[in-house]
Amino acid sequence: MKRVFRLEKIFIAQYLKQTMEYKADFFVGVFGVLLNQGLNLVFLKIIFSQIPKLDGWSLQQIIFIYGFALIPKGLDHLFFDNLWAVGQRLVRKGEFDKYLTRPVNPLFHVLVETFQVDAFGELLVGVILLVMTTGTVHWTWVKLLLFILSIPFVTSIYTSLKIGTSAMAFWMKKSGAISYLFYMFNDFARYPVSIFNNVVRWIISFIIPFAFTAFYPASYFLTDKNIVFNLGGLVVISIVLLFISISIWNKGISAYESAGS
Amino acid sequence: MAMIEVSHLQKNFKKTTKAPGLIGAFQSLIHPQYQTFEAVKDLSFEVPQGEILGFIGANGAGKSTTIKMLTGILAPTSGFCRINGKIPQEDRKNYVKDIGVVFGQRTQLWWDLPLQETYSVLKEIYDVPEKEFHKRMDFLNEILDLNEFITSPVRTLSLGQRMRADIAASLLHNPKVLFLDEPTIGLDVSVKDNIRKAIAQINHEEKTTIVLTTHDLDDIELLCNRIFMIDRGSEVFDGTIKELKGQFGRIREVEFELVDSNDGAKLDYSTLPVPVEIRQTGNTVVAKFDDSLVSVPNILKLTLAQVEVKDISVKDADIEEIVRQIFRKEAQEHEQLS
Amino acid sequence: MSSYLRRYRPFIVAGIEEATVYRSNFIIYLLGNTLGAFVTYFLWKAVFTSSANSSLNGFTFPEMVLYIFLSFFTGVLTSSDSSTSVGDEVKDGSIAMRILKPINFAANYFYEEIGNKIINLGLLMLPFFGGIVAYQILGQNAPAVNWINILLYFISAIIAYLINFYFNLCFSFTAFFFRNLWGSNLLKNALVVFMSGTLVPLAFFPAVLQNIFKFLPFSSLLYTPVMMYLGKYSPKMIVSMLFLQIFWLVFFIVLSKIIWYFAIKHLSIQGG
Repeated sequence: MKRVFRLEKIFIAQYLKQTMEYKADFFVGVFGVLLNQGLNLVFLKIIFSQIPKLDGWSLQQIIFIYGFALIPKGLDHLFFDNLWAVGQRLVRKGEFDKYLTRPVNPLFHVLVETFQVDAFGELLVGVILLVMTTGTVHWTWVKLLLFILSIPFVTSIYTSLKIGTSAMAFWMKKSGAISYLFYMFNDFARYPVSIFNNVVRWIISFIIPFAFTAFYPASYFLTDKNIVFNLGGLVVISIVLLFISISIWNKGISAYESAGS
Repeated sequence: MAMIEVSHLQKNFKKTTKAPGLIGAFQSLIHPQYQTFEAVKDLSFEVPQGEILGFIGANGAGKSTTIKMLTGILAPTSGFCRINGKIPQEDRKNYVKDIGVVFGQRTQLWWDLPLQETYSVLKEIYDVPEKEFHKRMDFLNEILDLNEFITSPVRTLSLGQRMRADIAASLLHNPKVLFLDEPTIGLDVSVKDNIRKAIAQINHEEKTTIVLTTHDLDDIELLCNRIFMIDRGSEVFDGTIKELKGQFGRIREVEFELVDSNDGAKLDYSTLPVPVEIRQTGNTVVAKFDDSLVSVPNILKLTLAQVEVKDISVKDADIEEIVRQIFRKEAQEHEQLS
Repeated sequence: MSSYLRRYRPFIVAGIEEATVYRSNFIIYLLGNTLGAFVTYFLWKAVFTSSANSSLNGFTFPEMVLYIFLSFFTGVLTSSDSSTSVGDEVKDGSIAMRILKPINFAANYFYEEIGNKIINLGLLMLPFFGGIVAYQILGQNAPAVNWINILLYFISAIIAYLINFYFNLCFSFTAFFFRNLWGSNLLKNALVVFMSGTLVPLAFFPAVLQNIFKFLPFSSLLYTPVMMYLGKYSPKMIVSMLFLQIFWLVFFIVLSKIIWYFAIKHLSIQGG
């Protein structure tokens, strides 16, 4: 475990040095994320200029859900973004060979190799939104603790979906499109599930469980209701998903065919 | 016990076959058709410790697939390989500490960072102790002359420098076996020479077993004690360079630039005991012959005695040519048998 | 004309072949983007349910449904990414291979993309456009099908595609400054999606912003054709909007030529 942290540290340091070689890129990335999220907020504002409440939820509450969603999403983006490269490039071009000739777990090696500083934009916006709307939540010490504890589980849902879908590349050579498809379900997560029809609701709760990355846990913090489903469900789904995705990954590695002759 | 032991190694790939055109694309989407392709067929050989094995074959012969199985990247369909007593696919993480791998067409260096950063990361990855690391860097420096560019970002290195840096990266953890896949590809003659010297020195000083794939016969000639040649996945030759030449001869070409193009007709090699093929285009005459039967100096002497020559260049036949020749021979034998 | 076509035909064919090879990829990406349209649909449905009014800023709910799916369809129709690599290719010198061919540099990318589009639209037209028309015929209170509007829509959408092509070509030269294409594309897309009316009809913005956005090139990319389809413009407006589109098209063609001129100079200086 100590070695894991040491490697993580050294890889982050390397990546930062690399990023500093191209400072303009750092700013364009962070600024892009900030602008993107900022415009999403304007969109919400426009919608709420037409109505007082969306299906019973106030603008403040929706913004809280939004902010909550951004923290784990940003963490996943910050630490585990290299998984996209597995599905898009590394396997197809045979660059994955490198990871298999090193005395380190290949999944871990892939994960630590990048440190996507663009994600600071998401984390920053997330924190600002949460601070802005903190008044909508009735905070207790227990709740604060649950809030902090829920973040790694939510992050793990994002990462597991990326591990599982990028591992498809071991069979299909290219699986970026599938990761993308899964990721798009993420858009559903930021709104109250009650606005969707039953099919969508079912999919985002149990198949591609993005509802657990934002709306369900956030709704517990906002309403104090259904802790067993909203947080208990999060823990169960997150663990099951991690387990499934790692077994897909391990199966994938033994099916890896490299590239070239 | 042999350092590398390969036994009945086989690798099959499934290939999707697709009928041409739109309909074919659609069919393969709905109902994909597979075809099995044997990339490596029943290979067996052993390599003792300290040997440099030249692993050769034409493009697509199955060289890389074999190397990838030996290095633990691919799992064999059947058979096994055992290196330093370990089966790569069984305990990969432990196994790869014993080996170093260089793929000439790819780099494992951190592209945007000064070269030495790569080494400090690899030090962590391979868990090399601090003291050992410094000793090792000094040694590699001495052999590969890294000092002149160790602080430059990798992307600014020349191809030759990059290759030296890559070889050093693969040797940092003092591996027992070194796999070099096309280590001299794309380099110019003097750089190739430096790399070869370094490889020979490492092999000599550390008794590192080396498996080398290459298209360059000079690499083989200068480095390898032994050659293992495959074609279409099967072994076609295993032995020394001398034996290869003895068995298959070696085609060489000498190119002469004549002062007077009419002199071409005067050339006569019929006094030699073997046939010499002559081709003339303009002022240039190319003589092609088997140099295990007649030496290059002999050809030169005979030619210079007959005509006036402005320029001479001696060319090697490449691996592809030898393989082609072997196959011609096998095909002939096959015909004779049937 | 026929020799002109003969010269570019190989590019169109190459584009078609490429599109068939990456077919499944295209379909999956498309499905992903369709999800986005459905999120927007459900969101607006909830908005209209929560609102006391039956029409918001001049949009009834059926009109809004049309707007959402039309803007999605238009987005795919007018998308252009073949030229996103031009800047990169100029920077690293690989553009040389393209310049060597005796044809206009932009045409290279353009005809490849046309080939791609023929295939992709062939796939899309029936389910999406058919779906939109079917909704108009079958849906309750849905706006009736108007063939003149549909014709205007396609004219406007084709101009929108051309603007988008040249806009992206100009934008690709930012590769000279940024290596982080993900970041600069995110930045661009966020702005385009917002100011073109993809996220929300421009009519929902405060009046000041609305007037600014209307004259910026982005509304020409999406908002204009969609509004034509919905029949929201008077005949006079239609003419002036088409003129505005053509103005922006000419603007980006000229701009791309200017940038190209300087970029190629850079190429010869660098000896790329």
